[in-house]
Amino acid sequence: MAAEKRWVIEVEHLTVSYQARPALLDVSVRIEGDQLVGVIGPNGAGKSTFIKAILGFVKPDIGSVRINGRDARTVKGEVAYVPQRGTVDWDFPITVEEVAVMGRYQQIPWYRSPTAVDREAAREALAMVRMEDLSHRQIGELSGGQQQRVFMARALAQGSDILLLDEPFAGVDAATERAILDVLERAKQAGKTLVVVHHDLSTAAEYFDKLILIKQRLYAYGPPGTVLREDLLSKVYEGRLRIFSSVIDQEGA
Amino acid sequence: MLYDLFILPLTEPYFQKALIGGCIVAIVAGVVGCLVVLRRMAFLGDALSHAMIAGVAGGYLVMKLLFGLEAHAPGMLLGSLLAAIATVALISFVARISRVKEDTAIGIMYTGIFALGVVVVSIFRHYIHIDLMHFIMGDILGVADTDLWVSAFAGAFVLSLLILFFRHFQLATFDPVMAASIGLPVLLLDYLLTTCVSLVVVSAVSMVGVILVVGLLITPAATAYLLSDRLDRMMWLAALFGTTSIIGGLYLCVWLDSAGGGAIMLFCTLQFLVVLTVAPKYGLLARWLRLRSLIPQQVVEDILTTILRYDRPTPLSIIRTYVESGKGLQRALSRMVRDNLLEASEDGYRLTAAGRQEADKVLRAHRLWEAYLATIGTPAREVHSTAHQLEHLGGEAVEYLDEKLGQPKVGPHGNPIP
Repeated sequence: MAAEKRWVIEVEHLTVSYQARPALLDVSVRIEGDQLVGVIGPNGAGKSTFIKAILGFVKPDIGSVRINGRDARTVKGEVAYVPQRGTVDWDFPITVEEVAVMGRYQQIPWYRSPTAVDREAAREALAMVRMEDLSHRQIGELSGGQQQRVFMARALAQGSDILLLDEPFAGVDAATERAILDVLERAKQAGKTLVVVHHDLSTAAEYFDKLILIKQRLYAYGPPGTVLREDLLSKVYEGRLRIFSSVIDQEGA
Repeated sequence: MLYDLFILPLTEPYFQKALIGGCIVAIVAGVVGCLVVLRRMAFLGDALSHAMIAGVAGGYLVMKLLFGLEAHAPGMLLGSLLAAIATVALISFVARISRVKEDTAIGIMYTGIFALGVVVVSIFRHYIHIDLMHFIMGDILGVADTDLWVSAFAGAFVLSLLILFFRHFQLATFDPVMAASIGLPVLLLDYLLTTCVSLVVVSAVSMVGVILVVGLLITPAATAYLLSDRLDRMMWLAALFGTTSIIGGLYLCVWLDSAGGGAIMLFCTLQFLVVLTVAPKYGLLARWLRLRSLIPQQVVEDILTTILRYDRPTPLSIIRTYVESGKGLQRALSRMVRDNLLEASEDGYRLTAAGRQEADKVLRAHRLWEAYLATIGTPAREVHSTAHQLEHLGGEAVEYLDEKLGQPKVGPHGNPIP
């Protein structure tokens, strides 16, 4: 029993299809708590379906996803989601603080307004990502990295132990990438489990404790050294990328 | 005189009713319109209003044939609601199961159902007495008491829903994925909002007509959108702009003796244009001022290299000869002094240490580009001017050239590369 408790996300024999096309095929993986997990794989590999499955949005053809031991489709709010930057309407009339307060919406009953406690929690979350000074800005006025951090704050304010991030490093410069990574690290130290969709293989080994390599089916799950192997990568990417050798060299060194 | 213009209309009952009915409708339409604008469903309002005529005709017909009631208002209202909901269902059905995209599906369905309504009304013209013109143009100055009551109830219902579930609508509009992940019934909220829009449209059509009702829904909201960074404030402002449109439009209509609906929407649109021009943050004027105060990087870099090449305090006249920039030059110079790139003295401008560093960077880029251009066979007389254009390219360009050319120390004209 005690051993089972360690798995925060358990995916078992998960098969999901869209109109007879399998998006995920017999994926089984168990993710332990308190770590930074990267999900890698080529475009169309089912990474976002995998994320949706953990959020409990997709109905599996067969198999199950369990969050802290309970079915992902019935538990609500145990997993916080940080959307991809491109999917957010940055012209929406909303301030940084309001986005963070949204993290508390689940705890607030429908007949009540957000209280001082909720706002305080939101401010704490903003402080954790070092965004408290910009709390009254409209979100479109922020830089790419700041925008990412606001949504991190919202996820932290939700109080969930599991955070899902969809390509947080897409389209930001190196310094910003560092700043975001720093926030991820601190969230991990605060006892969160982070599952991050990532596309840059050259930084994957450095950033993550464990990697999940998928392309419809699961090719590997484990520490970067065991996942970033030439035979696996060439199978998954079909020789489309030539930079592997350098990635693997770094890993081997 | 002023009394005649402003107070006299207020003493007329038709004007009072128009004012009350119009304001109720405009406030609710403005508030709902905010969500419509943010969800980009403006076209839906149009579709709903056109579909209504079929519903009104259907409701009229059923009430008349089954119960013998002439022009039964609640029956017609119910009919229009059903027609509206049917239209929305048909639109999403067609968009989902066929390759036809949503905007096309909306266009097909609303014209189709509108046509159905027109045909039904004209076939049964001996049974049902619906004035198509009234329907299309609306008649705010002839608002009946029942219309007032209908819009008051519909408005109260919609407003209370939106106030009670403000956060839910906000989140479902802003981030449906998160809304679903914390267990909000996103689909139900969508339907609820569509019902609210239908209710507003139904209660507004008798006043401003089928064609203009969508304007009442989205124009005040869009006006407010230009002025607010928070949804609640946007809703307040939209309600305010809706009200001012009604008041302004009604006076306009009385003074000019024009059609009521037209005057209201004209006023509403003018109001939008004014705000679009002068809005402090998102207005055209503000944008223009921002762009004007922006100093092109190219001008800054040209000033730096000009002074660097001149190699002693450079008077304004010299800079003016070498730097192509219209009136902005003086502003650029004072900005650069403020940014501590230049020092102004009596005999001209001098580079500071930081300015010198920046200037070296640009000069280096220029000479590297010259070297590169020489190697690819650019005619000698074009080398300088082309390099002058290319030196402003940012990113990795310069380092790439440096590497490709084998880190040269001198340029093609024998000038050292810093």
